[in-house]
Parts: sequence; C-alpha cells; structure tokens
Amino acid sequence: MSVPLTRRARAEEDRDLVRRAQNGDEPAFEELVRRHQQRVFSLVGGILRRREDVEDVAQQIFLKAFVSLRRFDQRSAFSTWLYKISVNECWDYLRKKKVRPLVYESDMSEEQVSRLDGIVSQERPPESPIDRAEARDLLERILEKLPEQDRQLLLLKEVEGFSVQELAEILDLNVNTVKVRLFRARARIMDFYRKRIALARSAVNSLRAGERKTSYESGNG
Amino acid sequence: MNLETDSGACSAYEARLEDYLSGQLSGADSSEVAEHLKACGACSAALEEARASVRLLALAERSPDPGPGFARIVMVRIRTELEASREKGLWQPFVSLAWRFAATATLGLVLLVTYGVFASHERLARPAAPSMQSAEARDFFTTDADRVPANRDDVLIMVAEDNDGNR
Repeated sequence: MSVPLTRRARAEEDRDLVRRAQNGDEPAFEELVRRHQQRVFSLVGGILRRREDVEDVAQQIFLKAFVSLRRFDQRSAFSTWLYKISVNECWDYLRKKKVRPLVYESDMSEEQVSRLDGIVSQERPPESPIDRAEARDLLERILEKLPEQDRQLLLLKEVEGFSVQELAEILDLNVNTVKVRLFRARARIMDFYRKRIALARSAVNSLRAGERKTSYESGNG
Repeated sequence: MNLETDSGACSAYEARLEDYLSGQLSGADSSEVAEHLKACGACSAALEEARASVRLLALAERSPDPGPGFARIVMVRIRTELEASREKGLWQPFVSLAWRFAATATLGLVLLVTYGVFASHERLARPAAPSMQSAEARDFFTTDADRVPANRDDVLIMVAEDNDGNR
C-alpha cells in the first residue's frame, strides 16, 4: 500500500527535480509539471472561472516557469513560486482579455428559487444531477456579481481546496488578513444571495398578482 | 473594544470565527469562542451565515482535471517554443542585415524621386527668356521668316535659301 507523501518530503523531492531541471534535464521538469498540474488547474480555474481558458493559461504558466527556472533560487518552495507565477499570469490574462461578467438573460423561476433556498437553508444536497447543474448555474450568477477578490478567495478556499496558509503565501498576505477577508467575503456572498432570492420572490409574486388581476378582469368582462 | 464589522461579527472574533468554522481551533480556543457565541448574537448570526456560505459554495464545480496527456503537451509546447527561438537567433544577423539593406535602398529611392520631382518643378517654373547663346544659334542655324534684308546681297541669299528649301 502506498503511503501518501508528507508535504516536507514532497518539497524535498521537488527541490531535487528543480536542481536537475535547472541543469537541462527535461524529464525532471516534466515530472514537476505532472506533480503540480492539478493544483495549477485548480488555481487558474478558481481565478478565471472559465473552463475553456484554463488549459491554455496553465500551459502558458508552465512555459514561463520553464523559462525562468534558472533564476529560481529555491529560497521558497517550488510550489509557492509556481503558484505566484500562476496568479500573476491569471491577472495578466484577465487584464488583457478584459473579461466581462457573464450576462444571463433569464432570471430564476419560482421553482429554481425555492430549490436553491432549500439546499442552502436546510442543508439538503440537490437530489438529482439535473438539480445540481441547475443549482450550479444559479450559484455562478451570484458569483459573477461578487467583487473579484471575494470571489477568488471563496472559490480557492471552498471549492479548489487551498488552505488559508497557502492562500496567504500565494497572495502575499498575512494569514490573519486572509481569515478576516474570507469571513467577510462569506457575509457578502450570503447578503447578495439573500437579496437575489428576495428579488426573485418579489418578481414571482408580482407576476402572480398580475395574473390574478387579469383573470379577475376577464371574469368580470 | 469589539466593533461590529462588514460581516456583522465583532472585529476581534472574525479571524477566530473563520478558524472555528473550519475546525482549526485548539480545545481551549474553541471553548472560548463557543462561550463568546453564547453571549453574542451578532457573532452567532455571522457564523450561521458563514456556514450557509459553505453549503452554497459546495454547489460550485471544481476546475477540470488536466488529463493524463497534459504534461506531455506542455513539454511539446516548450520544445516547439525553444526551437522557434533558437531558429530566430540563428537567422537574426541575416534578418537584421536584410532589413538594414532594405531600409537604405528605400531611403535612396525616396531621395531620388524627391530630387526628380523638385527638378522638374523648377524647370517648369523658370521663365522662357531667350539667352544670348540661343539668339546666336537662331541666327546661324534657323531660318527667320521675318528677317529684313539689309542690302541687295541679303535679298539674293534669302531667295537662294528659299529655293533650296522648296526643292
């Protein structure tokens, strides 16, 4: 049975692979790519939220890492150095592309509102894969409206599984600052979520009132 | 002083509530936060909202897997880019020489054309005053129909010239 490597042992192996890659050993660099590709994908995905762009940007990140590897002095862990390159590349990409929030034409139906609210308030997982896809779609709408920093922190922590310590290293922030920002970001997403739900409910109610009025008028006429 | 913040929680407890939420607090710290939560409605409400945010975010989809061939693709791209930059480096002296030659030739052509245009303009703009030399030339080599004979010999010469011309 294989025992999962501890973080320290992995870092030590990375150090050796980096030394070899710095001396022109391409298979050593390929091994580094293999070891870190999943985390880089998570990081890029957490920041960009556009699945179609993730692979391209991830390739670009490893290309940059390969080119700058000779200048890497190994004072920090390879993973930290690589994740910092990743974050910078993502921000460059967002700046260059001027990515705009997605615009959704349709709003939530009453059924969708109550389904999402049920999941969040009653701690009930969505029943079917279709429900799950629908709920994800609704969540994406809410995420798109959040400030960039809140969205990235929440997604990297809750969805992509980065620890507070990792986030502090990658984003050059104090650990305590990350915790406080995360806690406030949670309050903001929930505030936005509640407002969105209330808005959707009031839209449904006014639609119903309108329907009632129309049927009353047609009944009288 | 525990001021309320954006999250609604006491400012001194925000970071600890984040730890409490993810179960990162040790026994003593955890008990201390739990005691505070019993007494503080604002922090309890903020923690409830934070818990709901975990449930909400659990719906989000994780980033796609790179797939087994990703590392290979990266290495192929690295090799291609290196090859391209090496080739660029090999041809660079020739390319820059060619560019310099092209630039010099273009400059020469522009100068020639400019000179030609200016010269023709100057020629057209100059007044057509006959010079001394051209007047003399006309005397010797052209026939002037309005020439007035000065004496009898001149008349004979002009008649002879006319006869020669008509013949």
